[in-house]
Amino acid sequence: MNARSGLRLGARALRASTPRAPVARPFSTTIPQYDQGKHTHFGYETIPEAEKQGRVAGVFTNVAESYDKMNDLMSLGVHRLWKDYFVSTLNPGATTPLGQPQKILDVAGGTGDIAFRMLHNAHVLNGNPNIELTISDINPAMLEVGRQRSLALPAEQQSCISFLEANAETLPSSIQDNSLDLYTVAFGIRNFTNMRAALKEAHRVLKPGGIFACLEFSKVDRFPLFNAVYKQWSFSAIPLIGQLVAGDRDSYQYLVESIERFPTQVEFRDMIVEAGFDVAGEGYENLTGGIAAIHRGIKPLR
Amino acid sequence: MATALPTRTATRCFRTTRPRTCNQHIHSRRAFHSYDHPPPPGPFGATETLILSAAYKHVPEHGFTHRALSLGACDAGLLDISPSALPDGAFSLIRYHLYTQRLALAAKSSHIFQGEDAPVGVGAKVTALTWERLMANREVIHQWQEALAVMAQPSHAPASLKELAMLSDEIWYLAGDTAVDPSWYTKRATLSMIYSSSELFMTNDHSPDYVETNKFLKRRLGEVQSVGGALGAIGQWVGFTASAGINVLRSKGARI
Ligand SMILES: C[S@@+](CC[C@H](N)C(=O)[O-])C[C@H]1O[C@@H](n2cnc3c(N)ncnc32)[C@H](O)[C@@H]1O
Repeated sequence: MNARSGLRLGARALRASTPRAPVARPFSTTIPQYDQGKHTHFGYETIPEAEKQGRVAGVFTNVAESYDKMNDLMSLGVHRLWKDYFVSTLNPGATTPLGQPQKILDVAGGTGDIAFRMLHNAHVLNGNPNIELTISDINPAMLEVGRQRSLALPAEQQSCISFLEANAETLPSSIQDNSLDLYTVAFGIRNFTNMRAALKEAHRVLKPGGIFACLEFSKVDRFPLFNAVYKQWSFSAIPLIGQLVAGDRDSYQYLVESIERFPTQVEFRDMIVEAGFDVAGEGYENLTGGIAAIHRGIKPLR
Repeated sequence: MATALPTRTATRCFRTTRPRTCNQHIHSRRAFHSYDHPPPPGPFGATETLILSAAYKHVPEHGFTHRALSLGACDAGLLDISPSALPDGAFSLIRYHLYTQRLALAAKSSHIFQGEDAPVGVGAKVTALTWERLMANREVIHQWQEALAVMAQPSHAPASLKELAMLSDEIWYLAGDTAVDPSWYTKRATLSMIYSSSELFMTNDHSPDYVETNKFLKRRLGEVQSVGGALGAIGQWVGFTASAGINVLRSKGARI
């Protein structure tokens, strides 16, 4: 993946000031060393540190909004429902007896979309605040978005969250072997350079009986007509709309192509099994005819 | 295809064409009977089976529910979160019951068909096997109406009906029915209907040893013979099963 070449801005606000500044490119992975200090976002303006932080946060929010827009386009508007469903089937916080601790890692979870839903599910629906949730992302800019957004959560939910800048392919040793109940990754794994390495890491950090759960765009190949229409839509319309809406054709082009390159449901299921997981039933579940799919693996005993 | 398997089957044996490297356990469901080779492993994965078999012990008390699943997971040394790997949640537990009890019939049949008063003839054997299968619901019968409501949900109905069809097939097969003629379908359809209506009857039967259910079953099977073949009975059974079933479901809050 050479996302680095031709990095574009995901946000119009940025583009207006310095069109070539390498900020987070929505949906791409390889912005490993994002260094806030080097940023030239605000051009030659000299602004107080505090104000800059605010502006930077604003920019990140725009990036995140751009993510949302892309998700909307790719999912025909239903990614929020998928995320709700994804979290509700995992039902974090449901324990017998009630209130037992659970440790969760949300990988590539910068924006907090999945993490906040899981907290809600645990705290509000299951009345279980005994949750330790780590949101990790390779991109500190995305983590910053999550951090900003998390400020809107109730205090007792905020106190369960920690943020971790990490590459999913080599999680830090601070995340110990056999330490997690649940590992989630939503719309992230497609971007990893080495998915197998990430799956191995997921297997390492999960407890026996722990769950690997992945929500990702997938293949609608089963329905040839739908597939044809959807491909037409995604390959021609989406980059164009991306151009018009976000002024960023390349990012949208990348998005569409990365989805196309992603393995089929069955192939990905087999990769999960190769990494040492057991699956139940088919091992995956299609959403909206396969535009997205949920894969779940369970780390066996032994 | 699993071409290596010699088949002299009375009916087609469907197998899938997936690579055999992994997940064999998942994909080799047989739809219908093959008379020659042993049944392939079941439709459940190893850890899935571990969870389901442990959870099954909690069904009499907690029903076919998430609670049973999570208690089972913990008994098996797994985690509260573990059952979330099961694609159909509580319905997986129902399928597990249907599947294991269907398979258990084969072992039971060798007992039933031995001894002094062993049934003679295909008809008597079908009756005995159907009764045996009904009795396998004993432990969970008080939870079964709830289970039927879950099975009737649109997302689960196809799998439930398929299981029912496979049960009929199993019973005819074990009873030694090898006829391959147009009556094949009607026999299976009729038995499916008789079985499911008897099962429904049983959920409301409080007589000792379910004698009323037993009479009910025998009347239904008798009628099929006296009306002169399976076909005549079908209309009747559709009517009965549908209305009885709908009443039960309504009583469970289904909006139909
Ligand atoms: C499309 S976003 C997903 C955001 C969120 N989970 C959601 O569902 O909306 C993809 C994220 O994956 C992150 N990412 C890409 N490669 C990664 C890697 N190797 N390790 C960890 N995170 C990565 C990106 O930084 C980005 O935040």
